[in-house]
Amino acid sequence: MSVIQQLNGGGIYLICGLIVAFIAAVCIVFLVRAWRIGKALGMDTVKMKRAVTSSATFSVLPSVGILLGVLALSGSLGVPWPWLRLSVIGALHYETQVADAAAEQLGISLSAGEMTTQAFPTIALLMSVCIIWGMVLSALFNRKYTDRLRSDGPARGEKAGKQGGFGDQAMSAMFIGMVSAYLGSYLGGLISGNGLFTFTGSWTPLAVALAAALAMAVFTWLSERKGMAWLESFSIAGSMLIGMLAAVLIGH
Amino acid sequence: MDRQAYESYLKTTHRLGRLVSVVTLVLLVGAPFAIGLILGTAPDLGAVARGFLSVGLVWTISSVVEFLVYTPMLGAGGSYLAFITGNLINMKIPCAVNAKELTGAKSGTAENEVISTLSIATSSLVTILVLALGVALMIPLQPVLESPVLAPAFDNVVPALFGAMAWKYYRKSPILALIPLGVMTVLFTLVPSLTGSTSMMIIPSGAIAIGLSYLAYRRGNRGADRR
Repeated sequence: MSVIQQLNGGGIYLICGLIVAFIAAVCIVFLVRAWRIGKALGMDTVKMKRAVTSSATFSVLPSVGILLGVLALSGSLGVPWPWLRLSVIGALHYETQVADAAAEQLGISLSAGEMTTQAFPTIALLMSVCIIWGMVLSALFNRKYTDRLRSDGPARGEKAGKQGGFGDQAMSAMFIGMVSAYLGSYLGGLISGNGLFTFTGSWTPLAVALAAALAMAVFTWLSERKGMAWLESFSIAGSMLIGMLAAVLIGH
Repeated sequence: MDRQAYESYLKTTHRLGRLVSVVTLVLLVGAPFAIGLILGTAPDLGAVARGFLSVGLVWTISSVVEFLVYTPMLGAGGSYLAFITGNLINMKIPCAVNAKELTGAKSGTAENEVISTLSIATSSLVTILVLALGVALMIPLQPVLESPVLAPAFDNVVPALFGAMAWKYYRKSPILALIPLGVMTVLFTLVPSLTGSTSMMIIPSGAIAIGLSYLAYRRGNRGADRR
């Protein structure tokens, strides 16, 4: 039996499947609790439904992209381990980099031909250990941190309203910063990707981002000006789909 | 608002969040050892330690930054779930921010806590479902998903996401957006190798945007005080 066949064995599927099932159950518990307290607090159920449907539609396309990540890693790590990692805690760029670093420490490369049953548990452990810190910090400090940030807490008084106001602006600004870093990397890649100021780098990511932004503009116009508010829940996923379609057209 | 019910909800959320974080931690770190037993071997702890020193420290710093930046966005329940389920930048954060925008929930409020938890839980369940279905159908789906025709589409999920988000956020404050975008473009143009660390560049870019936003906020407050 080849190494990959062993890594795709029933026992490993069972271990990974049980952990994925546990996390799915945790998500359901949190979802139900949030829904119930929302109702108890008198929140509009239409708003809550909107949050659920928009999040579901938003997540479908990126999830298909993540599934491709499972496919990409399954060649060297088998199917069940990448399935667990990308269903639960990981992100493709992280998993690939750390698995490669672990393989390097063992003197092999991350490929089906060089993978061994001895190397696999080491690679899997490093992938687990490197990315647990967000969860550890959350377990240790989430309560103290979120209590300090609450704008409706009893300890905060009138000043809290003002600070909460900037809190919202800061979050939008953080998002602007995040988007700018990525768009800046696409622009920089086009200008200097193949040598400083040669303007011969890949323009595909930029064109895809532009197509998605234009689609988003149309969705926004339809939902805000044409009374099609229901479109809002699908605007991000729809814009992404149009952006990805542009990538296919450019690819041909 | 039923404050007592909300306080009790938060208390249980923290208790539950801590418990499931610890259980998930044990399961994820324990799984390689369990798999090792099946394969008749065990992880090489020396290699894990060396690997951690080479790449783990970067991810540890990144995790601290993510915890400090994203927890206020997500609230208590949302952040416990997000740090357990992963895929933060490429999915959970934009998803939760989108839900928050759609419902008009304000950071730090009970409404934001509920909306964010609903959003992250739903998003995680969708990913789990899509991946479970995909893994089950992996063999028949493989030719479609790996088809060269669709390859450029899946290679460009992230640019598509950030293009859509750019319209959403830039239109609110175009001037505020232009400065970090300009600085990042100059940096990536002059140092093309930074492209491999785009996620780390979010930190200076975010700091510039937050700094500018704070200046605008202070100016707005002063103007309001004068009036």
